[in-house]
Amino acid sequence: MSVFREHKTTADRSASDRRRHKKRIEDALKKGIHDIVADESIMGQNGNKKFRIPVRGIKEYRFVYGDNSGKQVGSAPGKDIKRGQKIGEADDEQQGQGPGKKGTNDKGEEFYDVEITLDELAQYLFDELELPDLERRQLSNINQEKLKRSGYRSDGIMPRLDRKKSAIARIKRMKAAGFDPDKAEEGETFPFHEDDLKFRHYKKKEEPCTNAVIFFIMDVSGSMSQDKKFLARSFCFLMYQFLRSKYEQIELVFITHDVEAREVDEEAFFTQYTSGGTIVSTAIELANEIVDKRYHPSSWNIYTFQCSDGDNFASDNVKFLEEVYALKQVCQLYGYCEIDPDKNNMSYSYESGGYQTLYDLLQPLRDKKLQTAYVIKKEDVWKAFRTILGGVEKEGG
Amino acid sequence: MEYSLDDLMKWDEKICEIAKSKYKVDFYPIEYETIDYYEMIGAMAHHGMPSMYNHWSFGKAFERTHNMYNLGMEGLPYELIINSNPSIAYLMRENPFPLQILIMAHCVGHSDFFKNNRMFKNTRPENVVQRMRAAKKRIQSYVEDPTIGIDEVEAVIDACHAIQFQTTKHGLRRRTQEEIRDELIEELKKAKQKEDVSLQKKLELKLDTVPLEPDYDLLGFISENAKLPNWKRDIIEIIRDEGQYFWAQIQTKVANEGWASTLHYKICHDLELPSELHLPIIKSHNQVIRPHVGGINPYHLGFHIFAHIEKNRGWEECLIAREACHDGSFIRQYLDEELCYELNLFSYSKKRNKSIVIDDVADEEGWENIRNELATSVGGGSIPVILVEEIRRNGELILRHEHDGRDLDVDHAHKVVEHVKTLWGDRVRLLAQINNVFTSID
Repeated sequence: MSVFREHKTTADRSASDRRRHKKRIEDALKKGIHDIVADESIMGQNGNKKFRIPVRGIKEYRFVYGDNSGKQVGSAPGKDIKRGQKIGEADDEQQGQGPGKKGTNDKGEEFYDVEITLDELAQYLFDELELPDLERRQLSNINQEKLKRSGYRSDGIMPRLDRKKSAIARIKRMKAAGFDPDKAEEGETFPFHEDDLKFRHYKKKEEPCTNAVIFFIMDVSGSMSQDKKFLARSFCFLMYQFLRSKYEQIELVFITHDVEAREVDEEAFFTQYTSGGTIVSTAIELANEIVDKRYHPSSWNIYTFQCSDGDNFASDNVKFLEEVYALKQVCQLYGYCEIDPDKNNMSYSYESGGYQTLYDLLQPLRDKKLQTAYVIKKEDVWKAFRTILGGVEKEGG
Repeated sequence: MEYSLDDLMKWDEKICEIAKSKYKVDFYPIEYETIDYYEMIGAMAHHGMPSMYNHWSFGKAFERTHNMYNLGMEGLPYELIINSNPSIAYLMRENPFPLQILIMAHCVGHSDFFKNNRMFKNTRPENVVQRMRAAKKRIQSYVEDPTIGIDEVEAVIDACHAIQFQTTKHGLRRRTQEEIRDELIEELKKAKQKEDVSLQKKLELKLDTVPLEPDYDLLGFISENAKLPNWKRDIIEIIRDEGQYFWAQIQTKVANEGWASTLHYKICHDLELPSELHLPIIKSHNQVIRPHVGGINPYHLGFHIFAHIEKNRGWEECLIAREACHDGSFIRQYLDEELCYELNLFSYSKKRNKSIVIDDVADEEGWENIRNELATSVGGGSIPVILVEEIRRNGELILRHEHDGRDLDVDHAHKVVEHVKTLWGDRVRLLAQINNVFTSID
């Protein structure tokens, strides 16, 4: 005779184990996050949208047999099998199975789809980023007058009348006077007195401005290949995510240019491309105009990030520098990112003489407000991001 | 089908009665706990233990089962029973009634196997639940100790898990160093009497090494010989004990499941169930013991071996097999040509050109090869044998892989050696044979 009973669990028994497992996955995710930032699938998503990324499972290593693990035994579905009969093909090349596939690959490696939002992803990225004086130096240094609530007053303008407070004051006075509306005679009322009225009071306060506008400027001329645009896009995405986590309100202005500049929407910015030459000053000029018209530097933090492959008509270079100089004066930060996947070494610089790219041209202007960076391959995007924000280069960063 | 606790108890009584009187099995008292599917996944993640120390790997196991369950890739196992006295078994509320009857009959088989099989002799089922509970408390106290903390505790558990099943083969008792020393000294005396100088030298050299003979119990050896703070040694001993407890089950998967399936099949037949109960049971039974094409389903293989034994040698022999065998010996002893042929067993391997080709089929010349391949690779045979060879004078720990034709996975071996370093606290080197070349992994 066996015993039967209800299973008693006081709590979800493996909850803490799962938490630790999740933490491990997150740690692994953070370590590999720089590989993820330049992934096509996460660009151009809004912050709350969840997306799934496959993360290599946290492996538990034990001694196991390797490839030549000898013969295996199995059951056949019937008798019609022969020695030497080929029954399949081993595909070892599955190792390092790319993202997108789920489950287990040949070597028993597991992949977990981790669901995170862009906000969380940005959080992981920027948690890890150690930019000690960044905020003091680059962000929020415009002050703006704002009206702040500051208690109540018994005089003021009618639009600021606080009805609830006023009603309470009248009731208090009514009770004190011993007036009972239920017992009151017909027509007898207890009207508001001037002293009952309470008005909200406001004070002027200086506050750091929490509005920001980001100008993204991109070269869409013929020389910008899909590869280059992809890198540019990754870079812009990171900047956007970062600033978004720092400011309440962010406005974006997208400007593309070839021989002339246009203000475009986000989608066009990332997809459009044209053929033909490049006159880059037109774009900076347009940005300057937009600042004049819409974003007064006294109430907006202005950021400009420009991505280009560095080509320009030589005759435009002087104009370009003048416009950049003007724009830089009103910006918190002007970041220039040169994208050139064809280039294979970083030592190439303006000192070497000869043909000058925009990167080379901008070097004399470099200071804390104007930063330049290079992106040659996917892995550089994160470095460029850090360079431009003036981060301290960290091991493995 | 609606059913009540009384229904379960009524059938349980009959099951226990038939098992004892007709099949002469002798099992621990069983305690069934009713559980929902979510709790079942939780219980599975903890190997059915009512209380288990905390570790992220159990969380991972939970997530995996839960995902698979949600994706419909894998049904939950019908039964979960632990090797304890009394045996604790779980009945999922979502199971239909006929399945519960099948499970109870199946659990009787497992409990009997736990109680009688030789491999389980040192698993101490009478206090395993208390042991695990105490272990959980102690490990928790190390986690909460501000001088230790969860990260260090996890690192030690991770390392222990990596070599948890590197233990003595087939549950043999590990001889103490004193016993071995006494024996060697005895041999040395004899050698001196015989004036056999070379043997004398050899024995003297042997007496000078640690360990005196190759030690298969890696955690045991480390616990005895490494310089360790008490908490680390305690964790090592906890995981070692847990490893030996589960090792018995790893080695007897085919025999154990075969035995339980044999008993549930026979008992359910003897219960004379109304057909609306019996038909679903037959259906579930066929599902459980179906062959897995290209692989081995332990339920299928074990069930048919026991049926074969009973047919040829009678029920008494079945009782002997369940008592004496681990999977390797079970297959070597009882899988004959007739059964190999009947079960369509074949062996295959990957060739150089990457094609997978059949090596042997179950005919007169092939069946023995198939049986031998199977006997070496089932149960504990799936885990490479690693032994402690010696501690070098510079403190380096030398491990060796006992090569049996199968190479180690080098990538994994590297990672495990790193884990062993964490525990040993000094250099560690693993000697292995990879692609016919002696290789040192450190």
